[in-house]
Amino acid sequence: MSLPAGEAGRTLSSTYRWSMPANWWTRKRHYFFYMLREFTALPLALWLLWFLVEIKRAADGPASYAPHSSALFVAFSVVCLMFALYHSITFLSLAGVIIHVKFLDRPVPSRLIVLSQFGLWAAASIVIGFVLIWFGR
Amino acid sequence: MSAPAHEPRPALAHLFWWFMFAQGGVIAAVLIPVHVLIQGILGPLGWVNVVDRHYDTWINLLGNPIVKLYLLVLIAVPFFHFAHRLRYLLVDLGVPAAKSTPAQAIFYGGAVAVTLVTIWVLLTTAPLKLG
Repeated sequence: MSLPAGEAGRTLSSTYRWSMPANWWTRKRHYFFYMLREFTALPLALWLLWFLVEIKRAADGPASYAPHSSALFVAFSVVCLMFALYHSITFLSLAGVIIHVKFLDRPVPSRLIVLSQFGLWAAASIVIGFVLIWFGR
Repeated sequence: MSAPAHEPRPALAHLFWWFMFAQGGVIAAVLIPVHVLIQGILGPLGWVNVVDRHYDTWINLLGNPIVKLYLLVLIAVPFFHFAHRLRYLLVDLGVPAAKSTPAQAIFYGGAVAVTLVTIWVLLTTAPLKLG
């Protein structure tokens, strides 16, 4: 409900507009880590786009192909790895809350579901790591 | 009792974007760390031989259709997750405009654009080798 501007002064109560201070998330550890989790998207998006650039560079032919090699890229990747791990751990842990399955009419414990997600992550990492290194020279 | 103005309909668009958000989150969680570790750190430091360090090994792998499909999933799908996360990061930082329809069009449209660019890069970089 809103009042015309002229009437607002004459009434005792008017609409109280409260807005969240921009730094609300720095006040509690829990809030900070929630924001950090959302922020992980930015470095990961940049890393993937930079990886796409490297794929595109392969179109330039053998003489001018240059993989990302700078110290700055390695440092950026180290930072990205931290964010990537934080995303993986928090997102895969959520599976225990979201996924509900029954086995022999008994609900599968959420710890087991989370464990299976981490197992999938480990297996995928081993397979991909193997392919990336096996086909290298 | 009068009939409702709108028949309830399944929110299919909602379903699609939430599905892509969830899938993007899983793909990013399961696939990205190992690529960052090996191609971003161990390869450039020379600690292990990695396929993208040399043109011949890299172009050979990039020609494989399964690799192309894999790279499309690896690069494009997480952007549907990132689009949602970054939009709500802005909302949480005090930018309510990030909830608006134009903002949704920009962010999810951005994810679609990344998908199209990735397809274009993968199809133009290495000739498709079948078998």
